[in-house]
Amino acid sequence: MKKFTGFLMVVAILFSFAVMITAEEAADEAASTTTDVSASPEAAPIPDNTDMTLGMSENKNVMPANFRGGDPDSSLVHCLEDVYYEKQEHSLIYKENAGELAEGAKFESDPNITWDTKVKDADGNWKTLSSANTNMAADGGKFFAPGEYQIGNSGARQVGGSSGADNEAVGEGTDPTNEAGGAGNTDTALVGEDGKTEADAKTVTAQQSMGVQVHDVTSPDLWVAFQEGAGTVDMAATEQELKGKMMEKIISNLGRPFSTNAEDYEEASYMFVDEGADGERDKEPFEKIARLSVAGALFNERGAPKFETKAIESKTLDEENMTRQVHVSGGEKSALKGVFVRRNVPFIFAAMAVDNGDLRAKAGEVACRIEKADGTEVEKDGNSYLFRVPNFPRDSYEDQPEYFFVAKGSDKAGNLTTIRTPLYVVNTQAAFEGGRNQ
Amino acid sequence: MKRILTGLFTAVVVFSSMVSAQEPQAGAPANLEKTPWLKGVQISPYPVDISPVIPLKIYSENGEAIPATLTEDVPLTVVADTTIFEDAPPAEYKGQQIPNPRWEENPAISWFFIDWEKNKNYMASVSEPLAANQMVIIPTTPTGKGAITCHIARRMRYDLPEPGRSKGTFANSSGAKDVRVLDITPPLCGLEISVENGGSGACWPVENPPDKYPLPKQADIYLSGPLFNAQEQDILLQGIELGNNMVVAADQGALHVSANDKLLVKVIGSDNYKLDNSKLKFGLCNGAGGEPAPVGPVNADMIDLSKLKLPEALHLYLDATDVAGNRQVMFIPVIVK
Repeated sequence: MKKFTGFLMVVAILFSFAVMITAEEAADEAASTTTDVSASPEAAPIPDNTDMTLGMSENKNVMPANFRGGDPDSSLVHCLEDVYYEKQEHSLIYKENAGELAEGAKFESDPNITWDTKVKDADGNWKTLSSANTNMAADGGKFFAPGEYQIGNSGARQVGGSSGADNEAVGEGTDPTNEAGGAGNTDTALVGEDGKTEADAKTVTAQQSMGVQVHDVTSPDLWVAFQEGAGTVDMAATEQELKGKMMEKIISNLGRPFSTNAEDYEEASYMFVDEGADGERDKEPFEKIARLSVAGALFNERGAPKFETKAIESKTLDEENMTRQVHVSGGEKSALKGVFVRRNVPFIFAAMAVDNGDLRAKAGEVACRIEKADGTEVEKDGNSYLFRVPNFPRDSYEDQPEYFFVAKGSDKAGNLTTIRTPLYVVNTQAAFEGGRNQ
Repeated sequence: MKRILTGLFTAVVVFSSMVSAQEPQAGAPANLEKTPWLKGVQISPYPVDISPVIPLKIYSENGEAIPATLTEDVPLTVVADTTIFEDAPPAEYKGQQIPNPRWEENPAISWFFIDWEKNKNYMASVSEPLAANQMVIIPTTPTGKGAITCHIARRMRYDLPEPGRSKGTFANSSGAKDVRVLDITPPLCGLEISVENGGSGACWPVENPPDKYPLPKQADIYLSGPLFNAQEQDILLQGIELGNNMVVAADQGALHVSANDKLLVKVIGSDNYKLDNSKLKFGLCNGAGGEPAPVGPVNADMIDLSKLKLPEALHLYLDATDVAGNRQVMFIPVIVK
């Protein structure tokens, strides 16, 4: 029994030695990746760089790893556009003491900390969007456009060995620009005398990155144009020309109406649904609105040219996927009473959309049509639409079918902008602009 | 039996300490008085998941070591030597195997110049195409303690033990080269002059174009205020060589005073690094150019013209030198009514 007890004690002592050795090795490994081999044998080697951790702070708007079909093992952080997030990072070079970097090491400066936001270009290369030298290990901000970002934190700090303990800490130094003309300057820190820094401290770096997938929660901007024709006008050619003009203008105006002057809409009438003016854009998802603007002669029964604009709601479409929908429902109580076309006057229409998902760089044609109340599509009469029988005022033409103009634009994320508004055929002859209904 | 229990207890304690020594420690809460930069930080400094850190060395373009002293405004092409640009990520980190490692993205690279004396960094960027591991650094701020740093991150993926699963992470590579930057820009000092119970004026140079290289540096000189007959609009003298012979001609602008005026003179402006205040001189002198020949007191806050025998080519002068030895001498004509 005594022998067994003795054996246990020996094992315990051996364990103790093993633990000491393992712990020392672990500390060395944790601290260093690359060490300065030129350090003197007496001084503990100071690593060139070290590990860093980086992550988003707790936030209910940090989405789960499988958000919108994301790969949970990708390590991408899923965020929403236009939401304030705080990120944080930590490293051995930000600690109070440098002992974990190397035995006897001392910090000779405050850390220098820079937050980078990079975005991938078309060639797959990362371009810097912003670089902020905050010298703080936590930082906040918003992503104003969807896409894949890379948040990088670059840290550095001056670290000296035990021999540098008495050196003046930098980072609290005097601003040399404040010394002009001052008397009694005793600063003797000459530049370029011997090529050595005062403290023989070395800069130790740390770096970490975080991939962030920022998701689109903004409905696309949608434009609809109506253009009337007359006589021998080639309506098919007119339609192509109209689409071409719309595509150019919707991109150059980033989805906003190209004019607020009613006189600029004599050729065609436009309906704009967009994210809003500068102060209205980039609102947090649950505060988002949209703006409906109507311009031209076809949005009132008198045919009077006008430009009107009004903020409208943006609603949650899908709670789980955080998609949103802007819906314009025309009618008597709506900002959009309806579309008023003249009987026996051919017209065409087209709809285009741009999305903030690609920074409104490309325009796409949007599905739109005229349908009856039961959803049956009204076909073109040749190359254009033409109604020969009026249906407005409705109480005078109750026997005539109701027509609706519908359009639906969606982005890749599933955010929608939809329009369903009555389309009235007005019994108006030639003098539409004068408001003289027959 | 007691000894057996003692032995077992010792073994358990030792084993426990061994296990805890191998686990990363979250560490004590930060002392925000001593580490204010950790405000708002709750995460541990010890990574939990694999995220390899790759060594990085910075060299000159020709593969030679970067000199310990650089010269202000002189471009230097630097190269980052790191395996993060290689075909595959490391297969092992800190003794831990990384199964089937592969890159997922191109590297994201940032270069900085840190001025440790101000604890401020300057991001380096170039418009001309360079190799991914190269950058042109132009140190525009002289400093006795600086560093060129390079930080690179590259997204990678490795296999997890479960079949068909893999995990994304970042490999990081960063490094620094400590340097100092020699000041080659002369001081940019000026003078503010006022007459007792009278008008005032000021003259000062502005480096233009800024950070010009090669030498010589150039500056514009501004004259302003009633004493320079520039009450409505400043007089701008462009393209003056910034150095020890900055002479303003009388037809370009002059200080207008009366023979009985008492001039109050004050130095304004600064150096882009540090002025050598022991060498700062200003006052009146005879003639312009070369070494100033003082007339009356040097470095006097007040100059009583009535007590001086004034020469014909009277000038106001300013002679400033910075700690690196760059010298600015400026001469402004004085017209005495």
